[in-house]
Amino acid sequence: MRTGSSMLNWRAASLALAVVVLAALPTVASAFFINFVMTQTLMMGLAAATIVFLAKYGGMVSLAQFLFFGVAGFMYGNAALEVGSRGLNLGLPPWTAVGFALIVTTVAAFLLGALASRTTGLYYLMLTMVYAVIGYFVFAQVTEISGPSGITSIERPDELAAPVSLYYTALALSVLAYIGFRALGRTAFGLALQGVRDDPVRMASLGFNVPLHRTLAFTLGGFVAGLGGLVNVWWNGQIDPASIGIGPTLVLLIIAVIGGVSYFEGAWLGAFVYVAMFTYLRDLPLVDRIGITEARFNTVIGVVVLLIMVLSPQGLAGIADRFRRRLSDRRRPVAETSDRSEGASHRAQSIDK
Amino acid sequence: MRNMKRPRRTTAVLAAAVMALVGCSDGGSSGLPADEGGGTIDTSEGVKLGILGQCEGPFGGFHEDTVGGTALAMVNHAGATVESATSALDGFSGAEVDGTPIELVGVGCGDDTPDRIIEEVRRLVEQLGANVIIGPLSGDEGIAVAEYAKEHPDLTVLAGISGSQEQTLQVQAPNYFRFYGDGAIWNAGLGDVLHHQEGWDDVAVIADDYSFGHTSAAGFIADFCGVGGNVTARVFPPLGTTDYSSYIAQLPGPDEVDGYFWAVGGTGTQAALEAFVNAKGDLSGDQHAGNLFFNPDLAQSLGTDIAGAYVGGFATLPGDVTTPAIEEYLASADATWETLAGGVSGNEPAPPSTAAAFGFFYGYYSAGVALVRGLEAAGGFDDPEVLHQSLSGLTLELPYGDISLDENRSGIVDVGLSRLVVDENGEVVQEAAAIIPGVDQSFGGTFSPDTPAPSRDFPACEERDLPWEGNAIEVVDGVPQE
Repeated sequence: MRTGSSMLNWRAASLALAVVVLAALPTVASAFFINFVMTQTLMMGLAAATIVFLAKYGGMVSLAQFLFFGVAGFMYGNAALEVGSRGLNLGLPPWTAVGFALIVTTVAAFLLGALASRTTGLYYLMLTMVYAVIGYFVFAQVTEISGPSGITSIERPDELAAPVSLYYTALALSVLAYIGFRALGRTAFGLALQGVRDDPVRMASLGFNVPLHRTLAFTLGGFVAGLGGLVNVWWNGQIDPASIGIGPTLVLLIIAVIGGVSYFEGAWLGAFVYVAMFTYLRDLPLVDRIGITEARFNTVIGVVVLLIMVLSPQGLAGIADRFRRRLSDRRRPVAETSDRSEGASHRAQSIDK
Repeated sequence: MRNMKRPRRTTAVLAAAVMALVGCSDGGSSGLPADEGGGTIDTSEGVKLGILGQCEGPFGGFHEDTVGGTALAMVNHAGATVESATSALDGFSGAEVDGTPIELVGVGCGDDTPDRIIEEVRRLVEQLGANVIIGPLSGDEGIAVAEYAKEHPDLTVLAGISGSQEQTLQVQAPNYFRFYGDGAIWNAGLGDVLHHQEGWDDVAVIADDYSFGHTSAAGFIADFCGVGGNVTARVFPPLGTTDYSSYIAQLPGPDEVDGYFWAVGGTGTQAALEAFVNAKGDLSGDQHAGNLFFNPDLAQSLGTDIAGAYVGGFATLPGDVTTPAIEEYLASADATWETLAGGVSGNEPAPPSTAAAFGFFYGYYSAGVALVRGLEAAGGFDDPEVLHQSLSGLTLELPYGDISLDENRSGIVDVGLSRLVVDENGEVVQEAAAIIPGVDQSFGGTFSPDTPAPSRDFPACEERDLPWEGNAIEVVDGVPQE
């Protein structure tokens, strides 16, 4: 247990340090870095973390998470706007609109999750991709709730008027989601979900309701992705059907893959790499001379994803984790490491992650 | 058990930290640098110009044209020199207007979506310090950038060639200027010609399902129905569709309507027409009309039967209309670069005048000229508000006709309608047919800030009085018959 305990301490210390650094960042970094790069990183990371959550605990790789990101944004826009020719113009107070958006998003996630709860593996991926495509077309075609051509002039609540407050909101939600998802892994529900991931037939024979566990996990993922979607619509001021097309949907999966789908921290790491590359790559000296212009961004991202999948299927967080493990192995006496069986070590790691 | 308790304590401590963080976001200005610098516009060091192009998406081929247009305006009117003889994307230097330097700080890369263009404009303004933006190119992008301009009153935005109506008529940002028409304006007069000269009564409309497609169709519908025609079907495929067969199936057959109006653009024009040929038989030019996307290149795959079709106007006039001002403008483009790989030439190197004669290049050129003339009228760039007032009152003398702005800062323009014809070499070319003078975006009151934005079902098909009905100036052999 010493190893597991020290790992937890290490993780808690790292997280606390990251939170302190991120909280202090606005005092030293430029406005653009905070309000554009980091705010976008945190909200995209938040949505990508739901992919990690479903994949890591439930073995479900979902492509529908960006849909819930968008549903929350559209619903907030419909609810909060009072006048104009776009959307339902329900004119609700901002925080009521937040509640409305989250309820609709969560209910949608529950219903779609229930429909998908009996599929696994590749079929689950395909089904959630179908959700994403159908979602896009619903918002593109049902212009009463999406525009036409999107909902614009969406304002954020007065309490979040200052640009940096959006950054802190995204940071707070990200930290809560990270802690929450990790803590959930040790609850009865989380452990049962991991059991469902490993052997659904055995879990069913033990009396666990496998589809319900999957549905509830998907619902929670949708809710958290919706939180990210709210920050996004406050940050962007508008949302349109193209915002949730298949392109952005795949971007979220790419972010999760870059960071590592087995690591929650990987979601934010991947989002940072993606946003930083998108923003700064083209500014590197002479990079355009080798053909890497802004028009080649997707090519560069594709190459990065390819390299990561070849060199480290566990993503950037996996590389960092391997590096840390190697360091700790070097420090630990040989006798102490050898008395643990490989299986026990693997189990401890999978719960601790 | 130790192991299970520790994370709870850790969680509690971290949750408290999060609550403290939430407390930080009280909404008021925190005094942090991130709150001070967010989108602040600095005009103390002259014009820092950002250009919003489009390097991806359906109009990604016109990225070179967007920068080229603005660069040529700076070369012709602000003494700039271009950095490369074969690529406009390398920008320009040395631009100055009455002692005010104009520095190109960056070029944004749109992909036709509002989300992306907002990211690009934020990068230009908030990271690179741009205080004047020229662009964007596409319809939905224009609305998003106009909204961004509204939130940043010290920023000056001169729209590139984005043709949605809403960006000026509905958004009404006082610092957003459009020195060209919109998608509806460019089809003004087309319905009049088709109904009265060609005898069309019933028409089916197919247009891209986004703001420019809606605006373009709205202009045609307002015009055609205004003079007594009837629109029997409206079909709106999503922008970027590759297989149009299901949308073509929704159109009535050639024997059920007198004609079709097409506002399908970008990479979809050819694909949509080919789907039509596959589903409903050969085209005949006298049964089809289109907006600016209907061009002679369609004959390459559709054959010369496309000849006879009427085409709506764009920012420039058809190539057969030549005046000394147009010739001088095109010659200046050829003198500035050796070749340009613009969208019209399929991104292959071509004489720069090929790109300059097309509306995408010309819209950005017009915006560049407007910036120069605005700075001259304002006597510098000390106060953006003075520049905005100067721009609002400008009447620009441009090669393809003078342009002034209406009360919503949108161009009042002459629209040049044209027709596809077969020339003596047997090739399909575009020939000017008529010029509709002084068209503004209100269409005699059909569109106003209080009416809904053009959409799939707005405007309704109703007979109305149109200011230009019967006023079309006929063009014969490239010469307007005034």
